[in-house]
Amino acid sequence: MSFSLTWLPTVLLDAGLKVAECPGWANLGRAEMGTVEGVLCHHTATTIRSGNMPSLNTIIHGRSGRDALPGPLAQLGLGRDGTYYIIAAGKCNHAGPGIWKGITGGNTHFIGIEAENVGDGSEPWPEVQMDAYARGVAAILKHINRGAEFCAGHKEYRLPIGFKNDPNFDMNDFRRRVQDIMDGRSAPVVIPKEEPAGLIRQTLRRGKANDAELVKIVQQKLGLTVDGFFGPITEAAVREFQRGKGLVADGIIGPKSWAILDTIA
Amino acid sequence: MFGSNTLEIAIGIILLFFLVSTLCTAVREGIEAKLKTRAAYLEQGIRELLNDFTGTGMAKSLYDHPLISGLFNGAYKTLAKGNETTLKRPDLLAGGKDLPSYIPSKNFARALMDIATRGKDMGAVNLNEPSNTITIDNIRKNISNLGNPQIERAILNALDLAQGDLLAAETNIENWFNSSMDRISGWYKRSTQWIVFWIALSVAVIMNINVFTVVDYLSKNDTARKILVQRAGVLTKDSTMLKMDYMQADSALKDLKLPIGWSNYGSFRINHADGSGIWNNLFGPLLGWLITALAATMGAPYWFDLLNKFMVIRSTVKPKEKSEEEPSYTPRPNPPTNSVMDNAENEPDCCSEPFNEDTPDQELPASKGGVAL
Repeated sequence: MSFSLTWLPTVLLDAGLKVAECPGWANLGRAEMGTVEGVLCHHTATTIRSGNMPSLNTIIHGRSGRDALPGPLAQLGLGRDGTYYIIAAGKCNHAGPGIWKGITGGNTHFIGIEAENVGDGSEPWPEVQMDAYARGVAAILKHINRGAEFCAGHKEYRLPIGFKNDPNFDMNDFRRRVQDIMDGRSAPVVIPKEEPAGLIRQTLRRGKANDAELVKIVQQKLGLTVDGFFGPITEAAVREFQRGKGLVADGIIGPKSWAILDTIA
Repeated sequence: MFGSNTLEIAIGIILLFFLVSTLCTAVREGIEAKLKTRAAYLEQGIRELLNDFTGTGMAKSLYDHPLISGLFNGAYKTLAKGNETTLKRPDLLAGGKDLPSYIPSKNFARALMDIATRGKDMGAVNLNEPSNTITIDNIRKNISNLGNPQIERAILNALDLAQGDLLAAETNIENWFNSSMDRISGWYKRSTQWIVFWIALSVAVIMNINVFTVVDYLSKNDTARKILVQRAGVLTKDSTMLKMDYMQADSALKDLKLPIGWSNYGSFRINHADGSGIWNNLFGPLLGWLITALAATMGAPYWFDLLNKFMVIRSTVKPKEKSEEEPSYTPRPNPPTNSVMDNAENEPDCCSEPFNEDTPDQELPASKGGVAL
């Protein structure tokens, strides 16, 4: 039987966000959640600067070593490309002792979101990730019928104050942004389904019924095995390519990626 | 739904009121031990009973009588202020000096009969004359020496109804005394309630015990509520609960880990968004404290009884926590450790160490959404 937060992917998808479900997420959790009262924002403080969500496995399995902690460490992971990774549907070890709005049982009452970032200020937050962060929080708060003030940063919740520094952005600004989204003052920007003009090539992505001929073109341009199948290896190569070209490294070939692909042989 | 949650919140609040009550009662007893207000009330009551408003006649004789004066230190000196027309009740915090807080009704009756027979003067001699032995006839003969017609009437009334039986007359006088004592207990109880109210109000403000904050906190924190109910379950089984002293009640109150006190005032307030409102900053806390103070005047036994009743009701309304203790699915070899007691202390958190298990892009699950349909 699965835990209760099975509504997470639907709510996030409806908000126009990219969502990836980790295998077995619906059955993952420390225990059943209590009443969901809000969202707690974290950053992962990863040491790995490459890749979209290098911390994902740690969040799922927990960490070992001096300060070992069994996973899952958060319900949601937020990749650098703004993709939400659905990790668990039950209670997670993310909050620690603290208080926000009179709520103390952080793991029981807050959904934890771990956003991938080095967190020492040396890695700027990509706009696509920040936008997805605010939109995801707004969608969850709307779903549980709470205002933006029920979104707290881990640094604001955790006692003693100052024990944690995540997330390393201004939470008041963030809450204002969440409130704007909840009030409908900011519509989501989605990737077009296909190119608006010219060749009208469809947008390609892993896990979708892609046009095999188009996938072959991409694979050939990126120097991969040309089999017409958009799988994880192709996706990873596309991300790498996008990263090199300063695009959002989400592994999705939309109009912008097509335009850049056209410039290479 | 009037579910177990509502019941649990009620139990939490009742437990809180009980402990505050106990605390205030302990403070009240401390004050009483110092001031002996009850003795002052008793003295006033006896003066009224004996129709001696200034405490110079019958009341003085009675307090000086060996049967009574043995009950307290030193000599009797009236606490009365003013004369018969300007006489006032003792203040809420009147001091009773060394006077007794209680006088046994038998001592009173015997002393009074003795005074009626042998006279008001404690220094008198020839006490053993045949005309001075306490009999119905001798009392009737000597009673006019008291010079206090109201008392004479009361004593004669007791004698008449006894129909010649001296012991029955004594019982009649005791009953007369006891009815007056009930009245004094009434005064004292009312004054105690006032004093407890002011103590409770001070305690509520000093310790910031705001009922609204606590209710709000309990309604939002499942674990805190469950811990509190468990605690209530333990306490109600403890028969020494009603004999807690100040220190015990104080530490029990702190053990509840409720949002009381001033140290975390800011984070306990619920509506940060409109934290500047007059309700949040003034009327809310004032009313919350006032309710706490009024509840404390009900007294600890009242809340203890109520707590027991609620615990019984709760045990019949089966709480739905069973499913939480036995998760039907255990995703990891180390299952959740007793989720009910999973309180703030042992809530683990992440982000304290860098995450180091690398997840390369190729291992990431496929995403969907974010593309126009």
